[in-house]
Amino acid sequence: MAYLRCDVAILGAGVNGTSIAYELSKRGKKVLLIDKIVMGAGASGSCDDMILLQSKKPGILLEMAFKSLERFESLKDELPSDIEFETRGGTILIEDEEHLAIMEDFVASQNRYGLEVEIIDRKRLLQLQPLVADDIIASTYSARDSQVNPMLLMKAFLLGARRKGMEFLSRTRAAAVERLQSGWGLLLDSGDRVEAEVLVNAAGAWANDITKLIGFEVPITPRKGQVIVTEAIPPLGATNVWSAQYIVSKLKPQEPAISRPDGRAAVQTPAERFGLGFAFTGTHNGNYLIGSTRENRGFDKSTDPEAIGLLSAQVERFFPVMSKINFIRTFAGLRPSTPDGMPFLGEIPGAPGFFIAAGHEGDGIALSPITGLVMADLITGKKPEFPMKAFDPGRFCGKGGV
Amino acid sequence: MDENKGLGDEKYICRCEEVTEAEIRDAIRAGARSVVEIKRWTRAGMGICQGRSCRRLVERILAEELKLKPEEIEISSFRQPVRPVSIKAMDE
Repeated sequence: MAYLRCDVAILGAGVNGTSIAYELSKRGKKVLLIDKIVMGAGASGSCDDMILLQSKKPGILLEMAFKSLERFESLKDELPSDIEFETRGGTILIEDEEHLAIMEDFVASQNRYGLEVEIIDRKRLLQLQPLVADDIIASTYSARDSQVNPMLLMKAFLLGARRKGMEFLSRTRAAAVERLQSGWGLLLDSGDRVEAEVLVNAAGAWANDITKLIGFEVPITPRKGQVIVTEAIPPLGATNVWSAQYIVSKLKPQEPAISRPDGRAAVQTPAERFGLGFAFTGTHNGNYLIGSTRENRGFDKSTDPEAIGLLSAQVERFFPVMSKINFIRTFAGLRPSTPDGMPFLGEIPGAPGFFIAAGHEGDGIALSPITGLVMADLITGKKPEFPMKAFDPGRFCGKGGV
Repeated sequence: MDENKGLGDEKYICRCEEVTEAEIRDAIRAGARSVVEIKRWTRAGMGICQGRSCRRLVERILAEELKLKPEEIEISSFRQPVRPVSIKAMDE
């Protein structure tokens, strides 16, 4: 049984936990990073590789995504190992006039926020994606959409932090948390004890298990995304690809099923039941990732043939040539989702020194650099460059259901 | 780290993803304790054969480096399918 002392103990070695560990270590804090399994065992290791600006709602998340992208540019040189950061640009395929109208509005609002994105016609789309299906009428295009390898990003944050003295404990979880006269005490299930001035809960979909230890509930729930990995193939086109349906489903994630005139709930199609949206990206290694579903199935991480079938049919619909390709893996990740689509970033009300940085849903990789920076600011008493009110961990207190 | 890579005098453990023995030993020395961690750090086992040829070799290197018996190595996770399947076969 060991007794460990540190300035900051971080629970959860996903992309945000490792990013916060890196930024705090750089600022001279003695950091202890703890994961109940291993680095990247949760959503950060079971996701795709996109840093998609186009999917962000205009507003603070888009501003933070801009800043993150800038930060990625410097991190790729600053971090001790390669993160496979690339800017290939992104296209969102538009299938019909209805989606075209929605995307025109969406693009206009993004332009007002300074995002360089435009609607391009089929002819221009074919220059970027020569193998796209015949009936795709148009697309959006932003040259700024980028990608990064989440595994290598976490590894680089971890190695960078370790060089500045951070320690990492894997395979151990917090069994109890107690408030000390100064700071916080952790009892780990290994029997080790930790004393830290500051605790950071970066446990993603499992964050509520940690806050519960001090009697505080955060409304973070797991949302499952199933993804297919293909064999490595030559690139099909220049950009990464989504469907307008993906954006529509992301903009209205909890749209209730439309009820029928007779008052009974409408029967959902399988695609609706799985929250299907098309996300198609080529990795650095040549494998394509075909996503994804958005399902509320608790902590079940299994993949199922019905969803894989839907994802397969979908990729053939947009890129018929893909029917000739094999897939070699499937996986599911549990994205930490919140009722308003905003993460919780800040101090837990009534628990000074107990911070949370969780609930990014599908934006965790893209926002990890900025999450590391703002959390390090908050923890070291510096004012973050963004207003943090929208991310207040107490914003649902007393609003029922929490 | 892998200055000899490609010069012909290194041992490849994962042939699909071209991961050398030295890279795997480096990952273990940097803290990896299981096949899953080595997979995430080096891509060993993530190629088209799904780790069928290299998983046991990786386990042996782990056992050696960590001074454990092979049966004490954590069992790797498996992700479906066990063999490559065509997209066409799944679209119903």
